Amino acid sequence: MKAGAGAPMDNSLKALSRSINRPSITLAAIVLALALGVMRLPFLQYLRPVGDFYIALLQICVLPFLLATIPLAVRSAMASGSAPGVLRSLLFWVLITLVAVAAISAIIPSLFFGYASPDEKMITNIGSLLGRSTDNVDVEFAIDARQAAEIKGATDVGIFAVIPTNIFASLSSNDSVRVLVFAVLFGIGMVLTERESGHSIFEALRHIQAVCVLIFDWFSLLVPIGIVALVAPQVARLGPDAFTALTLFAYPLLATSALLLLAAPTLCAFALHVSPASVFGALLRPVMLGASTRNSLICVPLALETLKNDLKVKNEPCDLYIPIGIATIRFGTILYFVIATLFMGTLMGRQFNLIDLGLLALFSVGASFATLGLSGLAALAPLAIVLRPFGLSYEVAVPLMIIIDPLADMLRTMLNVAINCMIPTLAGGRAAMRTTQASL
Amino acid sequence: MGHTTAMFFRGLIATILFAVSIALSNLPALAQSPLRSGPLRDLNSIVEAKVLRVAVTRFDLPSFHVRGPDGTLLGPEIEMAQQIGRALGIRVEFVDNAESFDSVVDHVALGSADIGVSKLSQTYNRLKRVRFSEPYVTLRHALLFNRVAIARAAGGRPPAAVLQNYQGRLSVITGSAYVDFASKNFPDATVVEARSWDAAIENLLSGQVDAVYRDEFEIRRVLKNKPALNVPLGSAVIVDQKALLSIAICDTCSKLQEFINYHIGVTRAAFTLKGLLDSELGRPAR
Repeated sequence: MKAGAGAPMDNSLKALSRSINRPSITLAAIVLALALGVMRLPFLQYLRPVGDFYIALLQICVLPFLLATIPLAVRSAMASGSAPGVLRSLLFWVLITLVAVAAISAIIPSLFFGYASPDEKMITNIGSLLGRSTDNVDVEFAIDARQAAEIKGATDVGIFAVIPTNIFASLSSNDSVRVLVFAVLFGIGMVLTERESGHSIFEALRHIQAVCVLIFDWFSLLVPIGIVALVAPQVARLGPDAFTALTLFAYPLLATSALLLLAAPTLCAFALHVSPASVFGALLRPVMLGASTRNSLICVPLALETLKNDLKVKNEPCDLYIPIGIATIRFGTILYFVIATLFMGTLMGRQFNLIDLGLLALFSVGASFATLGLSGLAALAPLAIVLRPFGLSYEVAVPLMIIIDPLADMLRTMLNVAINCMIPTLAGGRAAMRTTQASL
Repeated sequence: MGHTTAMFFRGLIATILFAVSIALSNLPALAQSPLRSGPLRDLNSIVEAKVLRVAVTRFDLPSFHVRGPDGTLLGPEIEMAQQIGRALGIRVEFVDNAESFDSVVDHVALGSADIGVSKLSQTYNRLKRVRFSEPYVTLRHALLFNRVAIARAAGGRPPAAVLQNYQGRLSVITGSAYVDFASKNFPDATVVEARSWDAAIENLLSGQVDAVYRDEFEIRRVLKNKPALNVPLGSAVIVDQKALLSIAICDTCSKLQEFINYHIGVTRAAFTLKGLLDSELGRPAR
């Protein structure tokens, strides 16, 4: 009875959410946000708390959603006979996509940088930006080795950065990567013990997942407001002088991002045998949520919903891949690191040959994995892994990257979401007609 | 007997007087001072002379002291010396022909000036010859380095790994405290002395050296005045090495030292890194 009473309300909420989040409204919100941001109106600073409030609302359900969804996906994979095939297919497409993204990231911007070089005026502008942005010096060190050790500090490095030694600490500190690792291990353990004892809490997890999706639907009603409140102040932060000085960096970043953002829905459309426009319209919501929140994980529920319900992609690859893929494989970061390195090389007068470009792509893929568990400006730290082997200064790159980060962070997240949505689509294809008809 | 005793005492007194005269003649300040025959130089003798002689470098130290268009000395160091003179109730006379920082110290040590103010760092060698006041500003030691050269030497490590045990060519101003600091802190580096700060920077830009060594203020001032240099040059601060910028005071002037320390204590806020960097006097000459 209760369920019967709740269903119409749930459906009307979904209908309302769908109506509000039509591609046309999302696009209008983006255009409005960009226009407001470019105008740099003073009142935009008051939108920032609204945006922060919106992100906080969205984050409420992310970790519970992951904790429920991943064990369910693990169970689905282990119980299904097709799981090995799905996993192989996912792995294949992940590798192909990684290679393709790394290659495109290296080739297209290097062609641009081959023809463009900074003039004296641009170097002076960049120097001024550096001087203004760094009140501090580039490097601090101590002659006395004991003090030097104190400056370094102590953090978890390597594999220890992803091991959830204390899951409660990881949950309380929003450490999503450790939570993911825990959820996968716990999911495998739950499936194995279920087989032995027959007891399980998977139904309860399914319920928790449904609750999270419902709460997320409530907040989805605010997506257009969130886009305006988050994107406009972010664009306004850039300022015209930053663009003037950093056009050399911004143009290849924008052009290559646009190419990849167009390629991902087009390939999805090809795999699903539907029009690219419909895929583009459907993916616009999760991708723009990524752009506005600059947090890939927040987009996981919406990405799953879009892929499974709107684009009718097979459930299994989506459930298996999307939470883990979006959290761990950062295609946007790969592109960003490659372009940042090529830009720094151009600034310092360093040429890159084909072998250098191959190494650059490889280092960028490796460094993108080193950003696991890091977000915002902290995620720039692994850029040192890419820059330093080429004799380029990480210390001069960081202040410049910070200047352009309001734009770059949006693009990185958009790429992470869009390309990760493409992988299960290519691996799984369209769901069988039975499912499609059932959902209709 | 009485005659013998008298002769003994006369001999004893003569010996003591001779010994005292030798001992006094060996006191460094007196030995070098033109006032050797007078009373020990200190606050009272300076006030009696009604003039405080202040040694400064003959070259400008932007933000600290510079020469105005009419040749008048300006700047917070000059103002500080004049405040001390006013507090003593005597006029201030600047001895502004010191060729180097060490030369300012020489003036004070040799008695041709009572105090010296020219962004002087305390060093062990200088402390052997003059007294120093409490620091009126403390600046951290710093390096300005060629980013590409240091990144190449680092081979993928952070620049600090190379700079900490720097073994390349390092430029410092000749006759400055940084000659001593360089040999102490960078014993494996090849120190190239430059006649001026501009010459040291020129050495860096022309690739003759890969780093220059001075204090945080000077390093940041270079980058502030020529922002384009932020791209090829990096800055590094040595957090555990500090330049204690103090007034050099004649070696016998303990009372004057106490007086100056009191003045610095009540006017300490006059010098801050930000204030010095923002100073109009720190801008390059047009």
